[in-house]
Amino acid sequence: MNFKADLTRRTGLALLLAGALAGSGLLAGRAAAEPAPYPVKVVTLVTHSSPGGGSDVFLRELSKYLGKYIDATFVVENVQGGSGAKAVARVAGAPADGSVFYATTPTYIYTSLLSKPPKTYKDLEPLANIFADSEVVFTRADGPYKTLQDVVDKAKKERGKWGAANPASLERQAAEQLKRAAGVNAAIVTHEGGGDMMLNVLNGTLDIGVGEFQELRSQIEAGKIRVLATFNPERLPEKPDVPTVKEAGYDVQLVKFRGLAGPKGLPDAVTKTWDAAIQKVLQDPDYRKEYTEEVLVAKFIDHKDYPAFVNSFATTTEAFLKETGAIK
Amino acid sequence: MTTFWDIVHLLTGTPLIPVAIMGLTWGILGGALPGISASITMALVLPFTYTMDPAMAIALLACVYIGAEYGGSIPAILIRTPGTNSSAATVIDGYELNRQGRAGEALGISLMSGVVGSLFGLAMLVLLTEPLSWLALAFTPPSYFGLGILGLSVIASMTGGSLVKGLAAAVIGLMIATVGTDPISGVTRFTFDVPDLLNGVEPVLVMVGLFALTELMSQSGSVSLTQLKESVRIRLPGLAMMNRLKRSQIIGCILGLFEGLTPGGGGSIAAFMSYNEARRWSKTPEKFGKGSEEGVAAPEAANNTVASTALIPLLSFGIPSSNSTAVLLGGLLMHGLLPGPRLFEQNPQVIDSLYVGSFVAIIAQIGVGMLLLPAAVWLVNRPRPYRAGFIFALILSGIYTLNTSTFDLGIALALGVVGYLMRRTGFPFLPMILGVVLGHMVESSYRRSLVLSGGDMMVFLQDPICVGLLLAATGFVVFSLTRELRDGRRARAEQARNHKTHGQEAHG
Repeated sequence: MNFKADLTRRTGLALLLAGALAGSGLLAGRAAAEPAPYPVKVVTLVTHSSPGGGSDVFLRELSKYLGKYIDATFVVENVQGGSGAKAVARVAGAPADGSVFYATTPTYIYTSLLSKPPKTYKDLEPLANIFADSEVVFTRADGPYKTLQDVVDKAKKERGKWGAANPASLERQAAEQLKRAAGVNAAIVTHEGGGDMMLNVLNGTLDIGVGEFQELRSQIEAGKIRVLATFNPERLPEKPDVPTVKEAGYDVQLVKFRGLAGPKGLPDAVTKTWDAAIQKVLQDPDYRKEYTEEVLVAKFIDHKDYPAFVNSFATTTEAFLKETGAIK
Repeated sequence: MTTFWDIVHLLTGTPLIPVAIMGLTWGILGGALPGISASITMALVLPFTYTMDPAMAIALLACVYIGAEYGGSIPAILIRTPGTNSSAATVIDGYELNRQGRAGEALGISLMSGVVGSLFGLAMLVLLTEPLSWLALAFTPPSYFGLGILGLSVIASMTGGSLVKGLAAAVIGLMIATVGTDPISGVTRFTFDVPDLLNGVEPVLVMVGLFALTELMSQSGSVSLTQLKESVRIRLPGLAMMNRLKRSQIIGCILGLFEGLTPGGGGSIAAFMSYNEARRWSKTPEKFGKGSEEGVAAPEAANNTVASTALIPLLSFGIPSSNSTAVLLGGLLMHGLLPGPRLFEQNPQVIDSLYVGSFVAIIAQIGVGMLLLPAAVWLVNRPRPYRAGFIFALILSGIYTLNTSTFDLGIALALGVVGYLMRRTGFPFLPMILGVVLGHMVESSYRRSLVLSGGDMMVFLQDPICVGLLLAATGFVVFSLTRELRDGRRARAEQARNHKTHGQEAHG
């Protein structure tokens, strides 16, 4: 059942991405620049998501443009099962010559911490970060809340009812952190996927929900829900009038990262090539147009800084999971 | 507004008819393969719709769904293996009819009941999508709890003679449903640090293990070779039969409508509930489980109705109530179509072709269904060792494609052994399956309600939908139990009388 909810959620996001990409992506022409030389001919990009799932679409679209900047053929491999544990094990055991990488998302940190599989995020070497998904606080359009402050005020007077899509998720972590930052009493109600939570926001069971912008787009366009704030460090380009949570007065920020990681001991030549290529691919006008439409925020973190970023994310997550009693 | 000429144009000026028939054919074949559920069948075809016209792509996916709901009943009847989750209820009487040499008849009833259900579902989809979309919203966590309990109450009448064994089986099912990540706190339960268990045991594995693998094991152990007659051919029910099935089909349609509208319900619950209701309202309830035509008609009408009515919450709110509608949502989004009220205003051609394409597929189902069936019947008539080997390979490959996991194969095989032992000791399967399917929903909605209310149990009595559903469940359990007690008393009285007459004869 968990799997189903997850699938629903992932497919939603994934296909949203695929939609725009299928239209224009195939037509993208080759740039004039020569691709950088690379030690291996074929690079396998591994994801734990099913074909059509979030990371799968991310990799497939990325690989279309990467060929312009790195002289290699890119293949996407789906290693499903165990919420990412199997895919991590597959990459951890691969040769560290730049031929195999894994698409990182917060999921692999959560799985590493929650289920303690034989190979965890610690067995991989973070390569570089590419994107951040947009996480927002939303409420129903005909509801009483116009700003994040209204929601917090209500939770101060009586008990707030806040929703998060999944129990072990970044969204729940965000809701718990906001609750603490605001010093209010709110029930954090977890669900089995974003659709499930959307219903409870629309019918007024919940005051607010925390979710990915991509999943909410149709309801936003239909005028059914109102976005109150974003957990992103900066405002959303698509919704410039929506403040960040930090601007609203609560020091909570989220980066739902999407990047790559490889086996430990990647050669310097490989990591340098990727650092340069990712910066270029993010500037690629065709690719840029597509990912901007999907409200993906380019967030490049190079190979030098990415391990520290991932480790600090993991430390925060571990503390959160211990606090909620999910792990000891 | 859609005019008559718009429809004529769709039928003649676009490739809608071939698209609908292609989708239907693929759906029937995919649905008929055990382990390949309706959602997988749809997901497999999804990549091919990338380059299609959006209106055609959505119609194609909807037709695959329609085909798969019917296709699932073919193996349910022929080899006691539901092709899709929602055809599990069809196994009970469908396979029984097959054993009596009436497979062709069972298939015909399934086909025609499916057509009736689909037509009804489509009519409801067209009429109710906009006005009824509030129902999806009216369901709060306590309402879902009520829905789950109502589903579980069906167990009371599925115990197959022994209430204790039935309840024991249900408890095992509920226990299996607790494996995996806790739905509210995210704590892992009974996973023993095995990552494959993080997502729990999927109901499809339990169904395949208990139904299909157990059947294969039992078959290989039995001596007599019950070959089907080579001449088995699909036999559509006549008017008299359709008339007799009317009541059970109506029950199936109505329950299918409600289950389709309520997210989380889905075809399997509708099928089991309508099977049960059909038995209750039947003139010949004693035939159920022993090869009742109504026992095939009700669930087949129900799951085919769901294939259309499940689109109502999807199209009106973009809320997928099942895996299949989630795939369809994916198809919509892939083409840049956002479901919701605005879809009707902005892309009426997509809605039109979805409706008209579904209609074409439903009508074509009678012909295509009959054309494809001989192939399926031929398969059943192959020598049993070949067939068993083939089915075994098919089932295992189907399970493997779910998550490309060999661990899942192990779970299914283990449940096959459990099922074999259950069958030898007279434990019924259905309560266990309902436990696995509903356990998660009951638990998560119960706990979510209590998180919302801050631990106050009154939350369940403040929700009118929940109260109504719980009352229905109570009434249902009481009804089933009194009937069971009465039947039991009657049986004992009968026995005593027989004993007495027997005794007198002996004296005389």
